[in-house]
Amino acid sequence: MTSVAARDGKAGQMTRPAPLGRRRDLGWIGIPLVAVAGLAAYWLLPDDLALLTRIAASALFVLSLDLVLGYGGIATLGQAAMFGTGAYAAGIVAVNWNSDPFVMLAAGGLAGGLIALVTGALILHARGLTLLMLTIAVGQIVQEVANKARDWTGGSDGLSGIDPAPVLGLFRFDMFGRTSYLFALAVLVVGLVVARRIVRSPFGLACRGVKEDPLRISAIGGSPKSYLVALYGVAGVFAGVAGALTAVTSGIVGLDSAGFPWSAEALVMLVLGGTGRLYGAVIGTAAFMGIHHVLAASDPFHWMGFIGLFLIGIVLFLPGGIASGLERLGGLFRGKEDRA
Amino acid sequence: MTRTLRNALLGAAFGLALAAGPAGAATIKVGVVAPFSGPFGVVGKSFKEAIELYQAEHGKTVGNDTVEFVYKDLDQANPAQSKALSQELIVKERVSVLAGYFFTPDALAVAPLIDEANIPCVIFNAATSAITEKSPRYVRTSFTLWQNTVPLAEYMAKQGIKKAISAVSDYGPGIDGEAAFKATFEKHGGTVVDTIRMPLKSADFAPFMQRIKDSGAEAVYAFLPAGPATLAFAKAFNDTGLRAAGIKFFGPGDLTQEPDLPALGDAALGITTTFNYSRAHDSAMNKAFVAKHKEMFGSYDTVTFTSVGAYDGTHVIYQMIKNAGGRIDGAKAVESVKGMSWESPRGPLTIDPDSRHVTQTIYLRTVEKVDGKLENVEKEAFPKQPDYGYKLAK
Amino acid sequence: METMFGIAVDGVAYGMILFIISVGLSVTLGLMRVVNLAHGAFAMVGGYVASYAAQSAGLPYAAALVAAVALTVLATLPLERLLYRRIYGSANELAQVLLTIGLTFVIVAGINYLFGPTLKRIPLPDLLTGTVALGPKAIPTHRAFVIGAGAATLLGLWWLLERTDFGIRLRAAVDDPAMAAALGIRTERLYLATFALGTGLAALGGVLGAELLPLEPYYAIRYIVLFLAVVAVGGAGSIFGSAAAALALGIIDTAGKYLIPNFGEFFFYAALILILFRWPHGFFKGRTA
Repeated sequence: MTSVAARDGKAGQMTRPAPLGRRRDLGWIGIPLVAVAGLAAYWLLPDDLALLTRIAASALFVLSLDLVLGYGGIATLGQAAMFGTGAYAAGIVAVNWNSDPFVMLAAGGLAGGLIALVTGALILHARGLTLLMLTIAVGQIVQEVANKARDWTGGSDGLSGIDPAPVLGLFRFDMFGRTSYLFALAVLVVGLVVARRIVRSPFGLACRGVKEDPLRISAIGGSPKSYLVALYGVAGVFAGVAGALTAVTSGIVGLDSAGFPWSAEALVMLVLGGTGRLYGAVIGTAAFMGIHHVLAASDPFHWMGFIGLFLIGIVLFLPGGIASGLERLGGLFRGKEDRA
Repeated sequence: MTRTLRNALLGAAFGLALAAGPAGAATIKVGVVAPFSGPFGVVGKSFKEAIELYQAEHGKTVGNDTVEFVYKDLDQANPAQSKALSQELIVKERVSVLAGYFFTPDALAVAPLIDEANIPCVIFNAATSAITEKSPRYVRTSFTLWQNTVPLAEYMAKQGIKKAISAVSDYGPGIDGEAAFKATFEKHGGTVVDTIRMPLKSADFAPFMQRIKDSGAEAVYAFLPAGPATLAFAKAFNDTGLRAAGIKFFGPGDLTQEPDLPALGDAALGITTTFNYSRAHDSAMNKAFVAKHKEMFGSYDTVTFTSVGAYDGTHVIYQMIKNAGGRIDGAKAVESVKGMSWESPRGPLTIDPDSRHVTQTIYLRTVEKVDGKLENVEKEAFPKQPDYGYKLAK
Repeated sequence: METMFGIAVDGVAYGMILFIISVGLSVTLGLMRVVNLAHGAFAMVGGYVASYAAQSAGLPYAAALVAAVALTVLATLPLERLLYRRIYGSANELAQVLLTIGLTFVIVAGINYLFGPTLKRIPLPDLLTGTVALGPKAIPTHRAFVIGAGAATLLGLWWLLERTDFGIRLRAAVDDPAMAAALGIRTERLYLATFALGTGLAALGGVLGAELLPLEPYYAIRYIVLFLAVVAVGGAGSIFGSAAAALALGIIDTAGKYLIPNFGEFFFYAALILILFRWPHGFFKGRTA
């Protein structure tokens, strides 16, 4: 009971030191909660499915960032390189060969994973600011390639004309967005389940070990870099699928999908929600995009100021992100029960 | 269920949903997607001001119906977000017309939506020629790069310029401009000695200036997105001595858009551009337009090409509503404004029935000081210019 | 040959502007271990103050420059006490990134609200307009001035950090804060002073660089990647490293844009990756100056 509050109480510590020891694990509740909340939103906000679809697809992208940052300790500002590659791969496959949504997701995941493995092997020897710059540079190069390959990607006009076939041949992607949303939600939930299995597997634990103490991992015969590259590749698959999901549900891919602002925004959303928890990614994305939507509707000129103040407030008063706040609330609650 | 059957059923359901909502005299909503925040926030502001100005002049009702505008903020080129916002406008706000769209990809993103929902989309800005080819429900009241560049290239050739160089930003509109310039200038006997595509994020333009200088061209055709890049380019042109070397500077009028002129300062003096609108356009209607703007919003500093794009777009939307006499059917509404002509603050306009883009007068202007304020002063007019790029580029 | 000379001169001029703006970031990052993404915002604030002072208050250029640096430092000092003090140390990089991004957003929104979204300029005195000839190559007088100012900044910083009491104390506090405090060095004050130095340099760069990086509210976000690249290549905290990196990147960027303009962006980032591959800790890692 006390462990949660005590651990996250460490001032200013934004990455959660992941627990290696055994404890009562309630983390599995997060995934059904996401599914239930997602379905509830479907019934409660039937007119806002376009926004909800974007949140679900973005949450999967932020989840991929949580894998590298929260579990591997890799600070990156270039995750959109994988997202954009996946989105373009899915779009190009759909426009030229096969527009089945599952084929598109597979193409996106494959492309995202490949580019992550290749670039990861090149850059993951670095740490800190150097790594940040390298990830930014990779993102810029991917974006520039997409801009130059106009025949394939449409360049800055965007890759339009993506018309995904109905899901399983039955459910069409129409403008009311029901199919889009349920499809995106399903992919997100499956993504959460898979991600959870990965981080709890021996491989996932080894990656956490690298994050906590790379020296010890090499001492017991592991290669820290190869673990990190593998993790980066796995996260690349997630980001690529998220990009493909956006291509499926929106029918267009723009250069922005590989851009630096999108990487930075994902980082903000993740840290807002809380790193190293998986569902923190979902909470952070929903909170950030929800706030943006409401503020942008009421006062587009000043929403940036509000979100900025919100970020500063999170750092000063809730260093583990929103998820840690919820956990602390849960801890208090359980504490009261124990006493009663 | 076959796809067409499903389509038909959904269409019918949507029609019913619309009919069940507003019946008879009611509110007709128009959704406007544009940047209201972010680096291009001034564009959304000028759209909104122009719409409010039009409504102040012409009233908020057409027949029995009240026209209401709903605004959505899209701060950057982000087609996926553009589609989501437009979808929300259609499904949640039940808008009958979509309008706005500053960036080309954002406008392109809604093509499948407007076809499915059968809604007209009036583009206030996005200037790549190819857009209106993607759906028969697009109408555009701005300009295209081809439209501005063809008369400029002809003028340059007529001035006796033999060797010119093109320097454009490396993105859709820039490439359109380069293609239009090269085709037209070479057709009139000139030589384009080099075509430079400059990365959009360039901060330092000195190396491009050196290249222009080394090319031996007598004149440069330049296009960059309005804002910091244009400013840095024009400054570099002066600072590196190209102007002193006698190289002439031409470009589409985005380069010297009115809100940027004070920052450009004297570096802008003498730049010759072609464009569809200058705030200094000498007509009674434009004077009234600018004066009304000042009266309503306190200053006319923000009046520029995006203002008339939105003002005339609003006029087209009003006309569509008038023609429809109530409920708007996208395909019919577009059909009803084809060939429509009217007088705008920028001059006479006609919607070309084929390209659904405005045929308009393009003006040759030079930046000069008028009453201590920099303005684009019109020197020559080229009437009835169509979109030369329609169905030409890929 | 003449082409090479031209590229070198333009590259050095561009690099010096990058140096002046980025060196403040290098100082705060290297000496205080703060990833200060709000650095670009501070530079922008300096530029806006100078623009306002010169255009609305009618001050001459030099006075506007001094006012900009002084006012920016004064305005940001409370931030050090209220915000930055809580996030010092290399353990919480993410908190630093998030907090300084948040601060940047607030500053961008504030500038947008106060000054509007249009471009602002700082009028140059007649002395700095026009061009000067350097052999076969003409460069703008303003850029020649910036090269001089950059060299002066470089020497001044070197002297401050290596030859003064302040520099010795600062380096001691950086190496071992607890020990320094035990020896009677008031580390809190020292950090405050270093922070002021960093923001002052940012403001100076914002004003001097305004001819090249025009002032508008999104300046703070638009150019931060460029500044970070200089610091990463130079090695955080190294004054000479920053200068070498800024010049190298300036020349690479200029050469790429001149020789293969259509792939200029590509060239720059590919070179950045290669450099960081060869020197993962920057040119001058582990040296204070």
